[in-house]
Amino acid sequence: MRYIKDKQMSFPDLADWVISQTLKAGADDCKVSLSKRRTVEINYRDRKPEVIKEATTQGLYLEVFANNRYAGQSTPDFRRSTLETFVTDLIASAGIMEEDPFRTLPDPKYYEGRSTVDLQLADPDYDRLTPEERHEMTKSVEEACLNQGGDKVISVEAGEYDESYEEFIRSSNGFEGSFQSTYCNVGASMTAQDEGDRRPAGYNYIGCRYRGDLPPLEEIGSEAARRTLDLMVGKKIATTKIPIILLNRGAGRVLNGLMSPMSAGSIQQKRSFLADKKGKPIGSKLLTIIDDPFIPRGLGSRYYDGDGFPARKRDLIAEGTVNEFLVNWYYSRKLEWEPTSGSISNLLIPPGTRSLEEIIRDLNRCILITDYIGGNSNSTTGDFSVGVIGKLYEKGNFVQNVAEMNIADNHMSFWNKLVEVANDPYIYSQARFPSLVIDDVVVAGI
Amino acid sequence: MKPIPRRKFIQGTALAGGALLLLPPGLAACSSGGVLTSGDYFLREFGIDETLCRKLLAKALSRGGDFADLYFEYTVSNYLGLEDGKVNRSYGDISLGVGIRTVKGDQIGYGYTQELTEESMMSAAATASTLCDMTATPVGSSFTKLKPGNYYPVAADFDGIPAKSKLSLLQQVNEKCFALSPEIVKVSAGFQSNIKRILIASSDGVIAEDIIPGGYIYSSVVAERNGKREQSSWDFGGRRDLSFYTDEVINDVAAKSVNNAMKLFDAIQPPAGEMPVVLGPGVTGVLLHEAIGHGMEADFNRKKISTYSTMLGKKVAEPFVNIIDDGTNMHLNGSLNVDDEGNPGKKTILVENGILTSYIHDKISAKYYGVEPTGNGRRQDFQNYPIPRMRNTYMLGGDASAEDVIREAGNGIFVENVSNGQVKIGEGDFAFYVSQGRMIENGKLTAPIKDVNIMGNGPKMLANITMAANDLQMHLGGGGQCGKNGQGVPVSFGLPTCLVKSLTVGGTEQKGGRS
Repeated sequence: MRYIKDKQMSFPDLADWVISQTLKAGADDCKVSLSKRRTVEINYRDRKPEVIKEATTQGLYLEVFANNRYAGQSTPDFRRSTLETFVTDLIASAGIMEEDPFRTLPDPKYYEGRSTVDLQLADPDYDRLTPEERHEMTKSVEEACLNQGGDKVISVEAGEYDESYEEFIRSSNGFEGSFQSTYCNVGASMTAQDEGDRRPAGYNYIGCRYRGDLPPLEEIGSEAARRTLDLMVGKKIATTKIPIILLNRGAGRVLNGLMSPMSAGSIQQKRSFLADKKGKPIGSKLLTIIDDPFIPRGLGSRYYDGDGFPARKRDLIAEGTVNEFLVNWYYSRKLEWEPTSGSISNLLIPPGTRSLEEIIRDLNRCILITDYIGGNSNSTTGDFSVGVIGKLYEKGNFVQNVAEMNIADNHMSFWNKLVEVANDPYIYSQARFPSLVIDDVVVAGI
Repeated sequence: MKPIPRRKFIQGTALAGGALLLLPPGLAACSSGGVLTSGDYFLREFGIDETLCRKLLAKALSRGGDFADLYFEYTVSNYLGLEDGKVNRSYGDISLGVGIRTVKGDQIGYGYTQELTEESMMSAAATASTLCDMTATPVGSSFTKLKPGNYYPVAADFDGIPAKSKLSLLQQVNEKCFALSPEIVKVSAGFQSNIKRILIASSDGVIAEDIIPGGYIYSSVVAERNGKREQSSWDFGGRRDLSFYTDEVINDVAAKSVNNAMKLFDAIQPPAGEMPVVLGPGVTGVLLHEAIGHGMEADFNRKKISTYSTMLGKKVAEPFVNIIDDGTNMHLNGSLNVDDEGNPGKKTILVENGILTSYIHDKISAKYYGVEPTGNGRRQDFQNYPIPRMRNTYMLGGDASAEDVIREAGNGIFVENVSNGQVKIGEGDFAFYVSQGRMIENGKLTAPIKDVNIMGNGPKMLANITMAANDLQMHLGGGGQCGKNGQGVPVSFGLPTCLVKSLTVGGTEQKGGRS
């Protein structure tokens, strides 16, 4: 049997056809999500291409609701002949599930009020990017990294990745949403020769919706080398209680431990140490976390969430106090709460006034945490523990690089020790956090 | 589960059996002698014949290159979830496509498509060929069919097993968890299963097919005592069919999750700092995987970015240390009948009597080092090219008893369960998260501990393993995934009880007092 492609249907037409087939086959309701993604990836090592990769993929995800039962499945195969079987099989799968009265499509009233602001998610110049330009971009980053790394370089890998994406979603009860987006990521990783057999590896990869928003390519490559050289002669020091600074670009690694317990799913399942903390303080007054979906060209910007609820800017934590949980439609029904939105878009912490350098200068002794290794956070208890890499400073002067060390605490005490926020939010991320100063943390080493 | 005696687990985990999930109608399988066989599946269902394979390979090598290969994949995955006493969610995924690779030296051109039309596949082959700019490399006129291993036989009737069988397993897990303790307030459970069919054809004349089952059952509980809550979870699985999930397994998965949660109420945070660490048998093998195994993957060594790149043939551990990466264990999560480059599943000794004897190779690194491929070329799916990856990685046991090892540690910690780990290849530094363990005081196990990260340096740790017990256990979980370069592949690992002279424990208090 040969694989024979059907005549192409537009996404709206295909969605209508799938919905019609699904309802005809016995579903009470359904939601179909269609997507298409084109990706290109180029990697260089030793000044020659190491990997050239390119493809276009598509996906269809169908959720069915039948007699208070639910199932969802995805497929890349858009042929109508196989989709007919796909739909009937999926309804059969839902049929053997146990009844769950909470599992429905959202009340359509919650679809209303979507913003029409232009989020600028798709770079109009994306299609003009040529294969030659991709190679040139990668070579520029690699060259800058090699130059900055000098005789310490063992190996440099540079890469360019870009994608264009489109999706279309329609539900049987009136939701429709679509958008197009682009993304371009460029960077390098370097391995350096250190003392003995140590070969520290650092990296710097920067991603943007618009290629034109990338920093100068030479700067990206040089920064990769600088970040690697910052790891040289990294050693652990004696276990100590000390102020630490979570550098802006990695601060999310620790802050993420607050997001899972804020979800209604964790709360309803009794796996959240924040379940009874709404309206109560969990951190210092400096801890404000804003979920902002409307940042133009933001990596997490969006018009609607996974339930189809219109995007909305909100304070999740305001001046240390839990203001709003992440409540999706399903768990809103289980908890009998109003839905908010079960997922986050761009996260921000309002920046402070002083630079990182000024803050370090004023701290007697501190460790700047530049990267993490391993670790985990327990959403039920709030306990966390994570390996850290960084730099030790005394009276503003660099003392040594530190490695193989660890911080452990409970979120309920840790964020109360947030004593200053720097003025340096990291903009190349969905988590646009500034550097954060935490007082009196046990950093485990020797 | 009972510990598996040293060197016996290879045979001990073999099970005959049924199947993991339903396949869509119309995609029926061939069977022979009661066991499902791969038998020209892609020819039958998608018209992929040898002539077409040669045409695609010729296109991939039309601008030169050392070799090219095709990787066809059809995977069906299914997840059933139980929450609040009901199996009320089913999620599924179908993955279908081909990845086409052109290789020149250590350079890779790669294209893939989900549409198995000749036009679309030729386009993907053309993308792969853009790596080179030379004259065409000829493709052989015939293929030799590889006879793969048989490390995870799948029963022929597997597509006749109704999903309702899995529903009742989840209900049993739920009931048993609640029955084990009145302090259990929430139970969630899940059954994940998948079946992957692959066809590999390479320009050096090898063609291979395989059917790879996978899956696991898990239980996750929340317990409440005096207003305090603790959670714990456990899973069992592997490349297995439904017959593995017996009453004993269901009882064990429930008991492990409930009993572990109960212990956590009394757990303390250990003091922070360097101390002796005893790794309990089984799941702690994740440390072997992270701290040592990754550094022995040959791509990192070929690029000189691993600390092990200058240590081949040298002493890296005490003479009693033997480390193996094995694709031939029956039904374990990392077992391979054939790797994703068309090499047969093998067993590779990495460290023998304390000497580093081999890296973990794919075809590119094997050619670079002038050795035979070790069967470790693996990929997540057709959208990714293969790279050297571990399979089932374990250390053989020593002669001591577990009690001897704990006594020898004196004062430190004992690691019972870990949830995740990470390594920095170049530095060799690693971390892993201890979800559960015990204090060791004066050579005896004392207070339980929890939620603590342990840091160390892989080569130093390997050299600092000073004692091993005779109780090697393989981890029988099915959910273990190893991530590398954005690709996840299933793996397993194992370890006997062993003593590491010193590691950094990331507690919340400085040494001198408990918190």
